[in-house]
Amino acid sequence: MSPVAVSTRSPAHRPQSGPAASQRRGRPARHSDDGRAGYVFLAPWLLGLAAITAIPMLMSLYLSFTDYDILSPWSDVTWIGLDNYREMFTADPAFWHAVRVTLVFALIGTPLKLGAALGVAMLLNRSFRGSGVFRGLFYLPSLLGGSVAVAMIWRSIFDRTGAVNAFLAWFGIEGKAWVNDPSTALGTLILLAIWQFGAPMVIFLAGLKQVPVELYEAAEVDGASPFRKFLSVTLPMLSPVIFFNLVLETIHGFQGFTSAFVLSGGTGGPVDSTLMYTLQLYLKGFANFEMGYASAMAWVFLLAIGLVTVVIFRTGRFWVHYSDGDD
Amino acid sequence: MTAPRMMRGLMAAVIALPLALLGACGGDDSSSDGKTELTFFWWGGEARAKLTEQALALYTQKHPDITFKTTWQANQGYFDKLATLTAGSDAPDIFQIDDNYLAEYGTRNVTEDLTSYQSSGKLDLTKFPEGLWKYGLVDGKLAGMAMGENTQGLVFNKTKLEAAKQELPKTGMSWEDLIAWAQKAGAATKVAGTMDPSADYKALWVWLRQNGKQFYNGNQLGFAKEDVQKWFELWKGARDAKATPTADVIHEGNATDITKQTVVTGKALTSWVWANQMPDIQKNTKDTLGVVAYPGDPSAQWARASMYFSVYRGSKDKDAAVDVINFLANDPEAGKILGTDRGLPSNLDIRKQVEATTTDPAMKASIALESELLPKFGTPPSVPPKGHSTVKTELVKAAEAAQFGTVTPAQAAEQFFTAAQAAVAG
Repeated sequence: MSPVAVSTRSPAHRPQSGPAASQRRGRPARHSDDGRAGYVFLAPWLLGLAAITAIPMLMSLYLSFTDYDILSPWSDVTWIGLDNYREMFTADPAFWHAVRVTLVFALIGTPLKLGAALGVAMLLNRSFRGSGVFRGLFYLPSLLGGSVAVAMIWRSIFDRTGAVNAFLAWFGIEGKAWVNDPSTALGTLILLAIWQFGAPMVIFLAGLKQVPVELYEAAEVDGASPFRKFLSVTLPMLSPVIFFNLVLETIHGFQGFTSAFVLSGGTGGPVDSTLMYTLQLYLKGFANFEMGYASAMAWVFLLAIGLVTVVIFRTGRFWVHYSDGDD
Repeated sequence: MTAPRMMRGLMAAVIALPLALLGACGGDDSSSDGKTELTFFWWGGEARAKLTEQALALYTQKHPDITFKTTWQANQGYFDKLATLTAGSDAPDIFQIDDNYLAEYGTRNVTEDLTSYQSSGKLDLTKFPEGLWKYGLVDGKLAGMAMGENTQGLVFNKTKLEAAKQELPKTGMSWEDLIAWAQKAGAATKVAGTMDPSADYKALWVWLRQNGKQFYNGNQLGFAKEDVQKWFELWKGARDAKATPTADVIHEGNATDITKQTVVTGKALTSWVWANQMPDIQKNTKDTLGVVAYPGDPSAQWARASMYFSVYRGSKDKDAAVDVINFLANDPEAGKILGTDRGLPSNLDIRKQVEATTTDPAMKASIALESELLPKFGTPPSVPPKGHSTVKTELVKAAEAAQFGTVTPAQAAEQFFTAAQAAVAG
C-alpha cells in the first residue's frame, strides 16, 4: 500500500507547500551552519532565479504602470499609474475578445482533453500484446507538444485541400477550409490541444495502476456493473490524480500560444477568431509597441490564472478523495 | 572553525564566477588595434544573404580595417528581434528596415539622422530620384537611406489567360473594367479572376489617391469613413459577381508570404504585390506571369523605397557605418553584385547599368513596368506615420469581417476607421 500513499498524496501536498516552506525558512536560525551551506549550494539556482525570473518579473510589474514602448530609451519611460489597467477593462474591446476566445479554448479544450486522456489510459491499462508500443504511440503527439511543426501539419490537414476534406469527400461531404474560416478555426485549435493528451494520459495510467485490485474484486462480489465500478471505485480512487491533471491542464490551456500563432500566421485571424490572450499580449508588445500595456496584460493574466487555480483547489475539498485514511 | 570560513570562500566563488563570466562577455567590440567590426542585420532569403556578404567582402577588401558581423533571417520575426535588440541598447550598427516601421524607429530616435552626412557629401544621394530619398524623411530627419525602389504591381497569370484565349489586363484600365474582366476571365479559365485586395493597404492607398484623397496626411488619416465604405462596397460587388475567390481563400492570400499569394497557389489569376517581388513570385510557379500597374490612373502610384538601410543612433562607429551604406548604394561594383535584389537600385546610374545586364525575364518585366511608369509617377506621399503597422492589421481584420459576411461594408468601414484613428493618435 505504501506506493499508493506516496503517489496519491503528492498532489494533496501542494496546497500545504506554502506554510511548509515558511517553516523551513525559519530553520536556519537554529542550525545556522547547515542553513548557510544549503544556501551556498542553492546559490547558482538562486542567482538564476533572480536574474532570469524574479528581476524581469518585477521589471514587468513596474513597466505595467508606464507607457514603455520598447524602442525608446529608459529615460523616456513615463509613469502613468493605472491607465493601462483602466484602458484594458474599460476601453479595449480586443482585450475582452481575447479573454472570450481564451475561455472558450480552455473551458472546452481542457475537460475534453482530460476525458480523452482518461479514456485512452483505461484502455491501455489492460495488459495485452504490444500495449507498451501503443502507450508510446499515444504519448508521441505530446512529445512534439507545442512545436511549430505540429501546428503546421495541422494547418495542412485542415486546409481546404487537406486530409480531412479528402476523407469527407469519400462520403460525398464537401468540407470547408477549417483553419481559414472564422467559424471553425478555433475548433481546429481545440482539437489540436485535445490530440496532445499524452502527458495527462501517462499520469492517469500511473494512477490507475495504483488502484488496489481488491477493491474491484470486492465490487464484483457485490455484483457491481463495469460502469458502477468505474463510478464508485476508479473515479474516487483516481480523484487526486484527476485533480492534479486538472490544475496543470487548465493552466496549460490558458497559456495556449504556439498553435494559435502558427495557424493564424501570427495575426489571430481569420477575423480574430483565434486571438488568444497570449497572442494579443504579444501583438500589443511587439506589433503595436505598447510594451507597458502588454506587461499590464501579463499581470492581469497571472492573477487570473492564480484565481482559477485557487478556485479549483477550493472545490477539490468536495470531490478529491484521499485513500490513505491515516489522517 | 574552518568550516564557516570555507563556506564564505565558497559563497564568494559562487557569486564571483558568473560575474566574471558576465564581464568577459562585455566589451568585445573595442577597437584597440584600429580595427572596427560593424554589426549588420537584414531580413531576406539565402540569395540575398549571399549577395550582401559578397558586397560587404568587397568593402572589407577596400577597407581592411572594417569587418562585419552579419545576421540575417526571414521577415517573420525580424522586427521582433530588432525591437528586442533596440530595447537592450544593442541594436546593430546598420540594419534594414521598411516603411512600415521607419516612422516607429525614426520618431523614437533609434535611427541616426543622416542629414548632416548628406550635406557633407559623406552620404551621396545626388544620383537618387528626389522623391525616393525624401521617402526616408521622418519629421524632417533622414531616418533611412532608400536601398531600392519599387511600386505597386498587379501580377497576373499569363499562361492560364492565353490558354483560355482571354485578354490580358492592361495598365490604365478602370477598377470597374478590371472587375468585369476578372468575372469574364474567371469564368473562362475556371480560376477566380482576381484576388480581392480590400484588405490590402497599398491597393486602398492607390485608389484613395485616384479619388483625390490620401492614406495619411502627416500623422492623420487622409480619408473619411465613407471612402473606406465605398472601397469595401466596390469589392463586395466583385465578390457577389464571383470575380474573386471565396473568403477563406482571400484570407490565405492576405498573408504577406510570397508563396501564399493567390497567383502562386493557382487560386486566382492575379495578386496585388510590389513590382520588385515579381521574380520571387515567378520562382514559385511554373506558369508565366506578367505585371501591370494597379487599375485606374497610374499617376496615383509613386516611387516607393522598397526598403532602407538605417544607422543605429547608439552605434560607436557611425561614420564608418554611413560610409558602408554609401558604398552599397553608390559603388558600381557593389551595385553589380547586389543587382535588383532589394528593388531597383536607387542610384540611377547603377540602375541603368543593372538594367542593361539583367537576364531574368521576371526581373525584366518588373523593370519594364517601372520604367514605363517612371515619367507618370505622382508626388510621393510622406512615409507612413507611427501606428501604421496597427492600421494595416486593422484593415485586414475589418476587410476580412466583410469578406466572411459577418458585418456589412458600412460596419466594417466604421470598425476600421475608429481603430485606425486610435492607432495613429496613440
